[in-house]
This record gives sequence, C-alpha cells and structure tokens, in this order.
Amino acid sequence: MSYLLRRFVHSLILLLVTVSFVFVAGRSIGDPALNILGVNATEQALETLRRNIGLNDPLLIQYLRFLGDVVRGDFGVSYRFGFSVMPAEALRDGLGKPVLPLVLQRLPATFFLAGVAMAMAFSLAILMGTAAAVWPRSAIDRLVSVLSLAGVSIVQFWLGLMLIVLFGVNLGWFPTTGYGGIEFVILPALTLAARPMGRIAQVVRSSMLDELAKPYVTAARAKGASEGRIVLVHSLKNAAIPIITITGDELSALLTGAILVETVFAWPGIGQLLIDSLNRGDLPMVQAGICVVATLVIAVNFFVDVAYTLLDPKIRLKGAGP
Amino acid sequence: MNIRKGGKVTSESKLRGINGRIGKSALFAIALALASATSLAAADGTLVIAVNQEPQDLAAQGVYKEINAPGLRNVIETLIAADPVSGKFRGVLSTYWDVVDDQTIRMDLRQGVNFHDGTPFNAESAAASINFVWSADNAFTIQEYGGPGTITATPTGDYSIEVVSSEPDPLLEFRLSLNGISSMKQVQDNPASHFDTPIGTGPYKFIEWVPGQYWRAEFNSDWWGLSHDDVYGTATPSFAELRFVFRPEDGARSAMAQSGEAQLAMFPSPDDCAAAEDSDDLKCVTGPSDTYLYGRLDHSLYAPEVLRDPRVREAIFLAIDVQSLTEVIGLASVPQGQLGPLGTIGFNPDVMAYPYDPDRAMALLSEAKSGGTDVDAVRVEVVGRDTTPQISTIVEAIGGMLNSVGIATDVKVQVPQAFNPRVRIAGYASEPGRQMMQVHVRQNPAGDFGITLLANYACPDEDNPTGPSRSSVYCDRQFDEQLFAALASVGQARDEALQALVKYVHDRHLVVPLALLDRAYLIRSDLDFTFGPDHRIQAAYISKSE
Repeated sequence: MSYLLRRFVHSLILLLVTVSFVFVAGRSIGDPALNILGVNATEQALETLRRNIGLNDPLLIQYLRFLGDVVRGDFGVSYRFGFSVMPAEALRDGLGKPVLPLVLQRLPATFFLAGVAMAMAFSLAILMGTAAAVWPRSAIDRLVSVLSLAGVSIVQFWLGLMLIVLFGVNLGWFPTTGYGGIEFVILPALTLAARPMGRIAQVVRSSMLDELAKPYVTAARAKGASEGRIVLVHSLKNAAIPIITITGDELSALLTGAILVETVFAWPGIGQLLIDSLNRGDLPMVQAGICVVATLVIAVNFFVDVAYTLLDPKIRLKGAGP
Repeated sequence: MNIRKGGKVTSESKLRGINGRIGKSALFAIALALASATSLAAADGTLVIAVNQEPQDLAAQGVYKEINAPGLRNVIETLIAADPVSGKFRGVLSTYWDVVDDQTIRMDLRQGVNFHDGTPFNAESAAASINFVWSADNAFTIQEYGGPGTITATPTGDYSIEVVSSEPDPLLEFRLSLNGISSMKQVQDNPASHFDTPIGTGPYKFIEWVPGQYWRAEFNSDWWGLSHDDVYGTATPSFAELRFVFRPEDGARSAMAQSGEAQLAMFPSPDDCAAAEDSDDLKCVTGPSDTYLYGRLDHSLYAPEVLRDPRVREAIFLAIDVQSLTEVIGLASVPQGQLGPLGTIGFNPDVMAYPYDPDRAMALLSEAKSGGTDVDAVRVEVVGRDTTPQISTIVEAIGGMLNSVGIATDVKVQVPQAFNPRVRIAGYASEPGRQMMQVHVRQNPAGDFGITLLANYACPDEDNPTGPSRSSVYCDRQFDEQLFAALASVGQARDEALQALVKYVHDRHLVVPLALLDRAYLIRSDLDFTFGPDHRIQAAYISKSE
C-alpha cells in the first residue's frame, strides 16, 4: 500500500472516530427527544418522538443509523431556524430546515477569512523570519522575536477588540464588524493571522539559520552567487519542509481559531454559526458544524502530507517500505 | 357591557363626512397624492440598526415579542397597538372597535390597504390571519400570551370582523394587540415562506434576510399610513431602506454606532452609554421597559424543609441590597417591590422593595434556629442565565450579600439549554431538595398583573408542562381560587383583586423583585427616536433631526 493511500485510510479512520465522538457527545448531554422538543414537551410527545426517530432502538442500531445519515449528509433539521411553533410541535409538519445546507452556506465566508489570514500570516512570517535569519542578533532579529512572541501569546479576543477600537472607531479606516468587500476582512484576518504569523516566523528563522550555515551556501557564495539568490532560491526551498509542516498545523488551527474571531467581528462563517447554535441548543446544527470542521481539518492535514511527498521524495520512499 | 374604544376621527370618517361632495373629494385625493409624493421624496438613505440577535424566524406572529424579531413591526402591522407615548391602545389596521362583552370584540377595518404582495387587506384576510396565528394546530409561541379560551375571528362584513374567545377573557383586547396580520394568500399558497419572508401591510417591504448578517426592507411608497396621520402621528418614514444587522456582542454594536456604521445600536453597556455623554456624534437614550429582574427561591413543593420557613426566606431577601444591585446594573434601573411597573393593573402602591437590613436578616435566622429550623443547612444556589445582561456581576453580588449574613451560596451562570429546564416545574421536580434562587428577567407586556401572577405563583400542573404556570414553584389552593376569580373580573374590581393578591404573595416572601430594567440605545445625534414601554424599533418613529 502506498504512503498516500495509507495516509488516506488513516484520515478516514480519524473521521470515523470524530463522527463517533459527535454521536456519543450528542447522547451524553441528555435525552435527545427532550433536546429536540424542549422542556415544554409532554411525556406522550416525547415518547412519540423517541419511537418515531428510533431512540428506543438499541444504541448500536442508533449508531449505525447515525453513520448512514452522516454518509448521506443528513444531520437532521435545525431546532432554531425555519419555524416559530412551540417546540413540542416543531417537527410535526416538517417545517424545520435541514442543517447541512445551512452549515455549508457559511463555509465560503470562513474560507475567505482563513485564506486571507493565512496569506497575511505566511507572507509576513517568511519576510520576518528570513530577515531575522539573514541578520542574526541584530535589531531586526530582536524586533522579529518580540513580534512573533507577541503574536503567539496575545489573546485573540482582546486583540480583535483593540483593532476595532483603533482602526474602526478612532481612525475609521476599516468597518468595525460585518461582512462584505475586502475592507471588511482586514481586521478579522489580522486578528486571526497574529498567532500563525508568530509561530511560522519563528520556524522560518530557525530553519533558515540552519540552512545558511550549511556548506552548500558557502560553496554558492564562493562561486559568486548573489546573496538574494542564495537566500530566496537555495536556502528557502531547502527550509521549506518544516515551514510547510507548521503552516499545515496553523491552517488547521486557523479553522478552529476562526470560531472566536468570527464571533467578535460578526463574521458570518461557520464559527459564528457554531457558537450561536451552541448557545441556543441547536444540537443538529452543532453536530453538522463539528463534522464539517473536522472533515476540513483532516483534509488539510492530508493535503499537507501530499505536499511533503512532492517536496521530499525520501518521505514517499520511506513510506513504501523495503 | 358595551365599552366604546378607539373612535378617533379617522380619515375614513372624514371621507364619510364629505361623501357626495365631489369637488372636495377630488381636492382631498390630490392632497393625499401630494402627501405621498412628498413622503416618498423625503425617504432616502439607509437606516442601519445594530440589533442584539438574529431572529429565530420572521413569521408574522413574532411581532408580539420584539426582542426575538427586532424591526418586524415595520413590515407586519397589527389591528391595534399600544401607543408608544401613552401606552393606551390605538387603532392601526382597525379603525374602530367595540368590546361587546368579556368574550367578544367587534372591529371595523381600515379600507384601501394592500399587502405587499398586492392582495387586499379586508375582513376575510384579517380573520384568516387571526385564526392562523392563534390556532392550536399551529401552536405558535405567541400562545404563551394566550387567554383562557380559543380565539377565533369571523368576517361580519367586507371590512368588519368579530373576534370571540371561547372563554371569558378580560385581556382579549391586549392579545389582539400582539397579533401580526400577514398575507392570507402567502399562508395558503406557500406556508413555508411565511417563516422567512414576511408579507404585511407596513411602511416597509421585506427584501431579504442574509443569514448571520442582516435582514433588510425597503420603503413602501403605497403604505396607507402616509395619508392617515391619526395612527403614527405626524411622523412618516424618513429612510428609503432599513437594515437590521445582527451583532450579539455589546461592544460590536456600540462600535458600529461610534464609527457611524449604524445610526442606532440596541442595548449598549452602561459604560458606552456614559461615554456617549461626551460625544458630539452620539447620544444615549434610555427609558423604562416592561422587563423586570427578580430572584425566585425554591420555597415549597420540592424544596427542603428549611426553605419552607418564611423567616428564612425573608432573611434571604432582606440580605439583598436591591438599591446597590440597581446601581450595578446601571442605566437608571428602578429598584422594584413587585413584578410590574406603576400603572399596571393590580400594581399595589403599598408593596415596596425589600429594605436592605442585614441585622434583621441575621435576627430572623437566629429566631428560626431557636425555633428548631436547621438554618445551617441553608446553601443557596444563585443561578442566572448567560443571556441576561451583566448577569455574572448580579449573581456574584447577590452571593456576596448573602454570605455577609452567614448564608452559604454557590454562584452559577448557565447557558439557556441548562438553565431553562431547571426553572420549569418538570426540572424542579427532578431536583428535589435543591435550594436554587433563579435570577432572571421576564416581560409583562400586558400591563396587567394577571399573567404575571398566574405564571409565577399559581399551582403548576406537572402533567401539563406547557401550561401557563409551568414556571411556578408555589402551590396555594386558596390563592389560586382568588386568582382565578380575579382573572375573570374586569375594571376596578379586577384592579383591586389583583392588588390584594400582589400583597398576599409578597407577604409570604416567595419571590424577591429586584429591578425594573431600563433599556438604552446609542443613537447618532442627527436622529430622533421615540419608543414606548415595549421598545419596538419602528422607523415611523425615527426621524432625522431638524
């Protein structure tokens, strides 16, 4: 079995574990019938619902049915959106809206935010890390260290509010919150980019320092190659593996970090929807949201593995075995 | 009994007065057309309002509960409504109504009104809308304000209806003020769209709802109100478009107003409100609401023996410094001795807020202990719901106050999913022996203590968890008997009977009313905004400053 195939199977297993966890968590926070119908429901209504949706079946049967529904993309209907009838009657006429389309509807906004944040973080980090490595122990190096440490340490919620006050309210350069054109994404993306920018910059600096101390760099200099070519073409490419590793990790973290940032900036992505649904006890929406985010994180990690094999054939060859 | 209500001189009656005088009619029609054209020309720009939550849906029935669907009254109108200044009922889509008896109201309807889909508003559509909203088959949430009987409406003419409650219902008129009227055609042809695409008769037509962001509506140039200044006063809509943007974070709403992105932001923090005093661009307007904050102690039914001792309960309430709490809450909240404001039917002027008297509290506890009550077993769980503004500060303050007189406490703030079941009778029954004080808010839009007393003090029916007393933890058959007699009465007799019951429950130390909450808004300085006790945001009452 090839390396990539095995990684793919690992990803599927991880996804199965996540979905199973979502099933168990959904059953652990109380009676699903009570969660669906609400505290106003009569015992008769609860019992009818339990029977109708199979809650009286053995747990294994329920689990297998849940897996089947997930595979078909059926996470049920929202307890919140689409009807204002009393909870006890909510599902009677099938007025609720299926949750998966509502979750997927929010994905483009999250992708947009995460994409801009990662572009900001990656480009700034490469610039900062490389400069710090080229001029070690200089003022630039110290400044990069301070900025990257601050980026990693700062509380996103606080940073977001400070950016709103400074750039939104006081200077009026950007909208304070909301969703729209490119001007809306700057502040939330900057907030979200702070942490990955700090971590990636530290890794870039460290990797580049290693590379710049290697004999091939000395040889290149001896041959008269320009410093810019040595740094940007030779060293940076060879330093790419750890940078891609950390970037892959940070991309996954961006998707989860977006939950908080989206709430602060009223960004209509999947994170805002998840928090809102958690607050309102919309269990199907929460389950669908977690499964979608988990799938994305697992997919990102898989594609990072694919990128390794392209950059470093040794990984592929080691994975192929003797 | 035949009580005449409404009866303001309407444009229809003026028209009837000049019926036959064609020349004057023509002049009048021209004047109306000019008035409409002037209003249309004046309505420009977008009014952006930062609201605290996204609606659950935009069904017509939701106009009764503004907090769940901010702005919906700009699209969906009611037959009658509470005037934002006087609080008295006035006609909206109804021009005149008779309360025939305690089960029947007859209404004349406004003529020449169309729904936004072009269908006419008439007796048939009004009756259908009332029957749809109040139907037990639909079980809309508005039915939490339902009366003792089933409400049905029947056309009695092209523009007249009769609304009947199957049981005597002195609050039938109030209930009709909650009832949004929407297009009958939509309900018949596409009922699912009723929940997210409201079609009403209001000054603004719904355009779109973008999930997670906003919903918006555009000025309805055919709005009947442009030529009927008896309903909305002299105000006409000043804006071509309304945009209600969803900003759950207090700071985000305030920032939008401060930066000028929104002209109006709901419910800022006291700090943001105070900061507006120093701003030339902003003002903070506050006003009393019909929302009260209270603490309800588990005191009977499933409570432990120690909380059944009225001395212990009184000691707990006397240990709470209500005045200081209102200062914590800010925004000029009024310390409160009962669960409704002055002016509410049944408000008892003799019932005052509990005085802060820690010495008396400790003396009562000692007295109870001497009498054999196990006072050391008291450990009050002070619990709030995280959707209540500043609830952490409030429950921590109460916890500290109780500790200072030697009462042990556990302080918690819970999410609605955990909190809501606990404050209902079914949840209470499942936790026998608990000592919970729920610190919570509740509205009393009825202007009548009947619903409040029924909800908080009547015997709960554990077999009917949707019943009106589902949140009560008290059961006193004598009280119930008097309450139901009071609920069936009207006028002065009702007021006196409810006043007596307000005093009765107060003297038993069951619930500690804490504050009547003011609501606040951050508004750009170039706007004038009038709101009433129900705090509905209606663009017809928002104008550009001269």
